[in-house]
Amino acid sequence: MTADARTWLRRIERLPLPHSVKIMNVCGGHERSITMAGLRKALPGNIELVPGPGCPVCICPEEDVFEAIEIALGEQVILLAFGDMLRVPVNRPKSEPRSLEQARTAGADVRPIASPTEAVRIAQENPGRAVVFFAAGFETTTAPVAAMLAEGIPDNLSVLLSGRLTWPAVAMLLDSERPGFDALVAPGHVATVMGTEQWRFVVEKHSLPTAVAGFTPQSLLAAFYSTLRQWLEGRPFLDNCYPQLARPQGNPTAQRQLHQVMEVVDANWRGIGSIPASGFALREAYAAHDARRRFPDHADPNRKRAGEMPPGCDCAQVVLGRIYPDQCRLYGKGCTPRNPIGPCMVSDEGACRIWWSGGLRENRAMAEKTR
Amino acid sequence: MCLGIPMRIAAIDGFNARCEAKGVERDVSLFMLQDESVAVGDHVMVHVGYAIQKLSQEEADSTWELLDQFLDDA
Ligand code: SF4
Repeated sequence: MTADARTWLRRIERLPLPHSVKIMNVCGGHERSITMAGLRKALPGNIELVPGPGCPVCICPEEDVFEAIEIALGEQVILLAFGDMLRVPVNRPKSEPRSLEQARTAGADVRPIASPTEAVRIAQENPGRAVVFFAAGFETTTAPVAAMLAEGIPDNLSVLLSGRLTWPAVAMLLDSERPGFDALVAPGHVATVMGTEQWRFVVEKHSLPTAVAGFTPQSLLAAFYSTLRQWLEGRPFLDNCYPQLARPQGNPTAQRQLHQVMEVVDANWRGIGSIPASGFALREAYAAHDARRRFPDHADPNRKRAGEMPPGCDCAQVVLGRIYPDQCRLYGKGCTPRNPIGPCMVSDEGACRIWWSGGLRENRAMAEKTR
Repeated sequence: MCLGIPMRIAAIDGFNARCEAKGVERDVSLFMLQDESVAVGDHVMVHVGYAIQKLSQEEADSTWELLDQFLDDA
């Protein structure tokens, strides 16, 4: 920990805090920094850091993963996806491929990529074949997908879009009867693209202390300190602890490209259900590059329902910050990064995987049961 | 995915930049920064192959401190 981070920590320790205060983060990157830097242990015990909806892979609807698997198997396409998506399981009989990885084993041409630019390159290198890019992600990933489309892509490349906005899930939690947190640390790179102002509703509509944070321990601790002071003083405002990158209006070029290529629509979140105005869909002008229109026979409307996590997996509760990963009965007992049962253990941004790789090996659900 | 990697621009060709960090070179798209003045030597925050914003050398260094720690842990 840097001297700067230790200074913030000392400031937090001196605050006259009550017995319990919960700060939620909604970003896998934040959760990773918190866990790897050991901030939970370093902070006074009455401060709880709750990981919330910050993992796009975890909430990518089952029907979209299913559609990608079916397109990969049923058409002679090259199916591209960010690496994390390949192992995400869907519920179906064991005899059928349950993930893109299993579809590949069954003969489909499925390839992991790390950037939309790779999708363009692969399409250019394979002019005779249809290439489908299954693009799941929050604004930070969806904006580059929009940039790719705005710049122009080869005819043989289409996009199976599963983009989501971050703030509507927070709005949904705040509108619910049990939000489960007292303050919010808003995601630094989402704000870099979309602007810090996007988070003002948390303060103005819900009077909750809020601070945008970067990813270093010092930036996160500064944001914790800010929200705690706001909370103690009963004077919530939108603070920006990542002014180096996140501006009030974000990156206007990126937003213009997003708006040009995509519209905002109601969207399904795996295990959670539909959230109004929380997803991206390709506009009519880009229909020729919409994999859903090019390969319309692979969507299964019957899959569109909430609560479709694998049996026994509490990932939806984890994503909503209702329970911690180690409170799932399967955490470390049957579900590990090597043998993941739910998406929260698959994705690098899933809280279960982050906690496990951070060395948290005890299962609290089991410990509580035997106590 | 959301972490982002700070890189230094070594060369620019249209919307494409050759960027460098820790001795590794990558092609990075500047398409999302086309309305900013971006020059060789600048640092950018790279997310899935796209520069999403410029950043100072200092901020790049402190992010790399963190990334180094992650890589050591992994
Ligand atoms: S530990 Fe595994 S089964 Fe439990 S919530 Fe996390 S991903 Fe799901």
